[in-house]
Amino acid sequence: MTEAQIIETLLEFIAADSAGENEFNAFALQIFAYQFENNAPYQRFCRQREKTPRTVHSWQAIPAVPINGYKYLTLTCCDPEVAERVFMTSGTTKDGVRGKCHHPTLEVYDASMTTAFRQRFMQDHDTIRMGILFPTEQAMPNSSLAHYLALALSEFGSEGSRYLLTDDGLDIEQLFSELDRAVQTGEPYALLGASFSFVHIMDEMERLGKSVNLPQGSRILDTGGFKGQSRELELDEFYDLLQARFGVPRDQCINMYGMTELSTEFYDWGNSTCPSVKSGPHWIRSRIVNPLTGLELPKGEMGVLVHCDLAHFNCVSSILTEDAGIEVDNGFLLLGRAEGAEAKGCSMAVDEFLKAAQG
Amino acid sequence: MTLKAGYLPGVSDDDIEWQTLSYNRDGQAIDVRVPLLSDEQMKHLSAHIKEKSRHYLKSLPVSDITAIIDTAITRLLDRNNAYRQQAEEYLPLITGYDAEMIRLGLTGYLKTFRQPELRRFIAEDFANPKLLDEFQPLPKGGYGRAYGPDLLAHIWAGNVPGLPLWSLISGLLVKAGNIGKVASAEPLMASWFTQLIAEIDPELGECLAVVWWKGGDVEQEQALLNQADLVVAYGNNETLQQIRDRTPITTRCLTYSHKVSFGMISKTALDMGKAWEVAHQAAFDIVRYDQQGCYSPHVFFVERGGAVTPQEFSQYVANELDCFEEKYPRRTLTIEEAGGVAAWRQSEEMKAFADESNSLISNDGGTWSIAYSAAVEDLVPSGLNRTAKVIAVDQLDDVAARIAPYKAFLQTVGVAAPPAELHRLAGLLGAVGVTRISALEHMTTPEAGWHHDGRFNLLDLVTMTEVERSAEIASEAFPNYVD
Repeated sequence: MTEAQIIETLLEFIAADSAGENEFNAFALQIFAYQFENNAPYQRFCRQREKTPRTVHSWQAIPAVPINGYKYLTLTCCDPEVAERVFMTSGTTKDGVRGKCHHPTLEVYDASMTTAFRQRFMQDHDTIRMGILFPTEQAMPNSSLAHYLALALSEFGSEGSRYLLTDDGLDIEQLFSELDRAVQTGEPYALLGASFSFVHIMDEMERLGKSVNLPQGSRILDTGGFKGQSRELELDEFYDLLQARFGVPRDQCINMYGMTELSTEFYDWGNSTCPSVKSGPHWIRSRIVNPLTGLELPKGEMGVLVHCDLAHFNCVSSILTEDAGIEVDNGFLLLGRAEGAEAKGCSMAVDEFLKAAQG
Repeated sequence: MTLKAGYLPGVSDDDIEWQTLSYNRDGQAIDVRVPLLSDEQMKHLSAHIKEKSRHYLKSLPVSDITAIIDTAITRLLDRNNAYRQQAEEYLPLITGYDAEMIRLGLTGYLKTFRQPELRRFIAEDFANPKLLDEFQPLPKGGYGRAYGPDLLAHIWAGNVPGLPLWSLISGLLVKAGNIGKVASAEPLMASWFTQLIAEIDPELGECLAVVWWKGGDVEQEQALLNQADLVVAYGNNETLQQIRDRTPITTRCLTYSHKVSFGMISKTALDMGKAWEVAHQAAFDIVRYDQQGCYSPHVFFVERGGAVTPQEFSQYVANELDCFEEKYPRRTLTIEEAGGVAAWRQSEEMKAFADESNSLISNDGGTWSIAYSAAVEDLVPSGLNRTAKVIAVDQLDDVAARIAPYKAFLQTVGVAAPPAELHRLAGLLGAVGVTRISALEHMTTPEAGWHHDGRFNLLDLVTMTEVERSAEIASEAFPNYVD
């Protein structure tokens, strides 16, 4: 298939209501063949694992590249020079090199985002007044999350939706005025942003003794965890606080799980209980594997997540993450990054060393 | 199966809140009950220990103390002893380490605390050990005596079996009353040792306590820090910073942070006859306690120019690791640990993939991995749990300069080199902060009397009381027989 054919088929695939195992499998194999042919480092990676389109017959068998791979390899089918957009990963190599995901067009990414966002976050709303707690796309042109949130605002934000982060940081006055307005008018309101931003805001609200009871239908979308950018909270504590500060019930607080190395996001159906069950739309499928052997684990056992995202057609669709998860009915439980646990003795672990060495 | 940890003289078991730590390794479940003291109980316990150490321990000659410890150690070395049998049976279940590795490790470790070794230990720090018993003439004039604290608080960390005995025995040797906080990862060995001491000398047993709280429980920790005269703490920098910040300014706080160790192999050790043995020794240091110790190697700098190339050497080590996996299987990892290994391995694999001067050898189960780099690389810890890297260098002499930026984290270097080179390297390594140089295969078994992280384990614990020469001279004016 050519790039144009892949894109066209993908857009149809995404627009469809659902996809069965066979359809998904067939298309995944076509995309694999396309990536194998056009993405030279990926082809070498597959050959080293003795996997080629001839020997791979199921999407589960498509070689998954460790997300680390983006740091060392240029994984793209199109000429990197002509990509419409490049998203950069947050992880870096020792030399400060960041991994890159090239998108020859954002058409597929945008279709994937808006289709799933409509189903999972908007639910019965066409539009909603939004406040975005994240920098703009112009401020962070290489951030996939900045693009995601810009798209949310432009496609689903009703009039008056706005960014609440300025170059100087959080615009707390604007935020409070938006919240008060929502309470007065009874118009549902949505706050979207990085999880750690919510922690900062709630700390500030606590300091000022502020809390609001947003109207029914209001909702919150957080993503990305705390990543050392705010104090670390237990998930239950975090969602309790959101409910208490904003009056948005925990089942209307949606957590989005996405990453630069994908073009599709996962959502839960609210966070009444944590960890919540995450799932994605019909063009992405996930498996749980033993991180050391790569073998798929039985349902209910903890391992790391491998995603096969058809929408990420230009780079590699199958990636091996460092995120721990458990397969459950209708999705998986995301248990955070399976980060190099500290040594149980007195030996130093990589993360600790890097942190200390940077001092 | 339920065991009890902790040791609390002067406090009734019935008055204490007990919590249960559950361990489940490979289908074998075991519960350990641990005591959780209230603030008031911690105060009471501290007062008890201080009182007993002042009235009994301070007047006990050091030679008596070493004799009592020796008796306890001799029993623990005896495989028919009930405590030893408990250790052999339960420590593998608690920590997950291979039973045979623990058995051998315990014996080797305990041997360093027999009486002759304890005397050596004291002699390392005190030219005149009698300073600990009574005032002794000082070379500069006057008299001096070394006093241990009335209450030495130990905050232990980690799952390397028996490690707490180090500081506990150090405390006893300087006649300190001791309260030790055990880690959830291995709460038993210190508890058993204390009970054993109490069986041998009940009065000495009154000077020792073993407590527990959940790591990071600020309130519990504070209760002990407030009472202690001196604090010895182990852990990562973050934990240690918190402990130091909460220690009252008048109380000294000695911290032992996490460290990185590595090996160095000279080209002269890489001839066909010797390379296999050297690789075997290097692999042993990796396997022993799955690199959980501060003395465990992460990296081996291997010199080019020998009959066996550095890359071939990495293959030899891989082969040895595979053999060790049969003999001492790696313990089952938690998902976090497996994630750490996987992330390291994937990163090395991708590097090898992007640059052919790197390679990675690993077994299917991922129970060991050896990475190789032909390019000079900086020292970075491995993924732990039997993952290490061989880095080829043109000359071992160049390594010191590369590791110099990491001075604060360096500890042991295992060296395989001829005598002249060993001594030359020692000079270079010592200058950049390495505190211990050992043979390969001995990296994880420091010798008796070693200076942990280069510090004086006993001297650091005492304060000197000096009677200056002026006082002596002045006193001559006042006796009734003065002319």
